[in-house]
Amino acid sequence: MHEVSIALNVLDIAIDNCRKSGYDRIESIRLKIGRAAGIMPDALVFAFDAVKTDTLAEKATIIIDHAPVGGSCNTCKKNFVSEETYVLCCPECGSNSFRINSGRELEIIDIEVV
Amino acid sequence: MKIKVVTRILEANERIAAENRKLFDNAGVYVINLMSAPGAGKTSLLEETIKEINNRLKIAVIEGDIAGTQDAERIGNLGIPVVQINTGGACHLDANIINEVLGEIPLKHIDLLFVENVGNLVCPAEFNIGEDIKVMLLSITEGDDKPLKYPLMFQESSALVLNKIDLLPYTNTDIEKIKRDAFSLNPSLKIFKVSCKTGEGVREWTDWLFSIAKKD
Repeated sequence: MHEVSIALNVLDIAIDNCRKSGYDRIESIRLKIGRAAGIMPDALVFAFDAVKTDTLAEKATIIIDHAPVGGSCNTCKKNFVSEETYVLCCPECGSNSFRINSGRELEIIDIEVV
Repeated sequence: MKIKVVTRILEANERIAAENRKLFDNAGVYVINLMSAPGAGKTSLLEETIKEINNRLKIAVIEGDIAGTQDAERIGNLGIPVVQINTGGACHLDANIINEVLGEIPLKHIDLLFVENVGNLVCPAEFNIGEDIKVMLLSITEGDDKPLKYPLMFQESSALVLNKIDLLPYTNTDIEKIKRDAFSLNPSLKIFKVSCKTGEGVREWTDWLFSIAKKD
């Protein structure tokens, strides 16, 4: 999707939190990104490296925790998790009738500052 | 030392989208975020929709394009309030861009606001602008492989309008495959088949639009 917009938002939020806590350098930023969030991790890291220049996060690295896609099937009533980006049918019974409950997370979990 | 942040990265966009939503709700305006690839016929669909429904609902349009004012001129020719946004390169509209132009839309005097997003099957689906629903348009000539190639847009949309069905005899597009794949991605999707050129199917689309958009 739109990794530069995302990288700029990450940078803003991280710098804001770093300043508010009274620190002046960010060493790392840990993100939680769902498999279905539409994010290419490599492109996000590349974009972040481009936008972090001359900021408190100039030396910061991005750490990505991937979150699986989770859903529940309306047919077999089971819950499932999947590492696929797009779930097209219930992995348990093959039904097309299911709900996706998680997997589009796009969050900053924590930052390491000095 | 570690600082817990736990913040959604697109929180800023979501916050402004919620502000927009409040303005729309207070004015009783139903908002549709219209998305498709370039050339699928978004502006043509709006023209046909406005002609068909404007006596029943008061409509305004926000046009999003990278450059140019052709779309806004076409809509303006129908006597509809219209604002053109030029993103200058950005491939989608976000909540903040919409927020900045809302002052130019007579919200109190309209029932239905269409936001014609930048032509693109990827990014627009990722950014909420405060709309009630997303509607996507797919033209027959784009081929029947699109639902499985661009799944998010089909998952996020409440309705799919298949345009240019007058061209079906001249293509290899299998409309049943489009419907099957789109339903597998989004079982509650409403699907309409229209031709903005011949007018076929436009009435079914506008009747549905009227039924969902009429707020008291």
